[in-house]
Amino acid sequence: MRQALPVVADVGARVSSTTQVADAFFQTRLQVRDVSVEPGQFVQLRPRCLEGTYPYLRIPLSVSAVDTERGLVDVLYEVVGPKTSALRHVCVGDEVGFLGPLGNRFPEPASDATPILVGGGIGVPPLIYFGTTLRTAERWDPILVVGARNAGKHLPDTLLEPASADVRRATDDGSLGQAGLVTNLLTEALEAGSAAPVVYTCGPHAMMAAVARLCAGRDVPCFASLEEYMACGFGVCVGCVVERADKESQPSPYGHYARVCVDGPIFDARQIAW
Amino acid sequence: MTDLTTNFAGIELRNPVLLASGTCGYGEELAPFLDLARLGGIVTKTITPQPRVGNAPPRIVETAAGMLNSIGLQNPGLDGFVQDKWPYLARLQTEIIVNIAAPTADLHRDMSARLEDVEGIAAIEVNISSPNMKDGGMLFGCSPTASREVIAAVRSATRRPVIAKLTPNVTDIVAIAHAVVDGGADGISMINTLLGMAVDWRSRKPVLGNVTGGLSGPAIKPVALALLWKVRQAVDVPIMGMGGIATAEDALEFLVAGATAVQVGTSTFVEPGAAANIVAGIESHCDNAGIARVEELVGTLRV
Repeated sequence: MRQALPVVADVGARVSSTTQVADAFFQTRLQVRDVSVEPGQFVQLRPRCLEGTYPYLRIPLSVSAVDTERGLVDVLYEVVGPKTSALRHVCVGDEVGFLGPLGNRFPEPASDATPILVGGGIGVPPLIYFGTTLRTAERWDPILVVGARNAGKHLPDTLLEPASADVRRATDDGSLGQAGLVTNLLTEALEAGSAAPVVYTCGPHAMMAAVARLCAGRDVPCFASLEEYMACGFGVCVGCVVERADKESQPSPYGHYARVCVDGPIFDARQIAW
Repeated sequence: MTDLTTNFAGIELRNPVLLASGTCGYGEELAPFLDLARLGGIVTKTITPQPRVGNAPPRIVETAAGMLNSIGLQNPGLDGFVQDKWPYLARLQTEIIVNIAAPTADLHRDMSARLEDVEGIAAIEVNISSPNMKDGGMLFGCSPTASREVIAAVRSATRRPVIAKLTPNVTDIVAIAHAVVDGGADGISMINTLLGMAVDWRSRKPVLGNVTGGLSGPAIKPVALALLWKVRQAVDVPIMGMGGIATAEDALEFLVAGATAVQVGTSTFVEPGAAANIVAGIESHCDNAGIARVEELVGTLRV
């Protein structure tokens, strides 16, 4: 299904707040005029304090919530290096370069489908936005299944609740929810016999590969939001490619690779050579 | 108002700022961000005789003040370019320079001959400098003899200006510059990326799928300026300078060091409208400095 995507812009956004929401996870709320973002799309941010030469590239981040009326866009991220650390410390009211929205969106499920959102670690944010729009449409009751290494790597209920009334958690060490992998929770959800399940996933590559395999084995549609090292974010550098599984049947100018930034980041999981 | 028009090897440029090969695709993706007609020109992503799928990912990694890439010249091939990419480029009100690479000198000649039939190409830039091509590119550009042969092959097949794009990964870039001029180059572009590598010590693996890649971005600007200045003193053909240009002042430094025009590359990834902002910045800096024509600045370095 093709839906028209909002126009991309290279503008300035103002930080309206930054809050620590878990271990090293932060939420930054950006005030940005006349920009709309569809669920699954991402943005490339550049704190003005980083406008020197190192670090040089922008920070690609998915969007976890949007309030179009008030012009607010939330990003949720883990502080892992100098760029995310800089973003975390941008003062309220200061400007951040905002390039977006970029990429495609999660496809809407059929009206009788049960969406199951499967997130891992800091891959959960785009699923929050998507789940929220599904619930707001009042046609779906998405199930949100979340896995993380430990309790500290889980986002709090307050952030997940808008996306789902049915949040199920797993941790590798058993410190929160079920002990074990998120795929166990997904298997349970699928075996409970929900009507027409369709899976949307975002998280570490190995987790998404396992989710994709599980879905393929049960003939359940699965859409994955991919991540790759990225430079431009709008298609010119051809750096953020992933290998396609359907390379023989899909002759394209970009051969058997697809660009995560413009051909994705959302792919039908069967298209990817996991 | 400073006159920004620039003559580069017979090509009349609106201003001396172009988009560098490999950083602007074939123009389309950048159109939402800047008016391409405001630029001096566009140098297309390298095209090869046949389509190339490019290198295995990861292809990109950020490094200090720059990045490594090992895209591997992924492109739709000559036919794909002419059919699918050229129609859009042909409509743009800016000069289009087509960048080519091939595994042999003969194939360079065949590509150039085929492009002779395509109306509207301003010049051919020959990529004898890609560090990501195992069957050409830098293999030619590291040898004066091979560089001369490839440029002579292109020269024999086209009436258009021929620009040789040089690699910095050589012992003596001046020898290569002399060789391409001997081969018939009307101009030189420099520098392509510096060979580089990133290592993940925990996994003990290279970060890039191709092991090594090309370093670009502000980190390489001083290297580019030094090599440009050396080549400027050695040959008479005009030079397109590039390597880490992110601001109008960077561009002006290249002009003073001897570049007739400049190409903006990696900074487009960070700021898609960077080249247009650089044009505006050059104009205001020159106005403020009372420079009547931007060409007056070229090669004015006082040593």
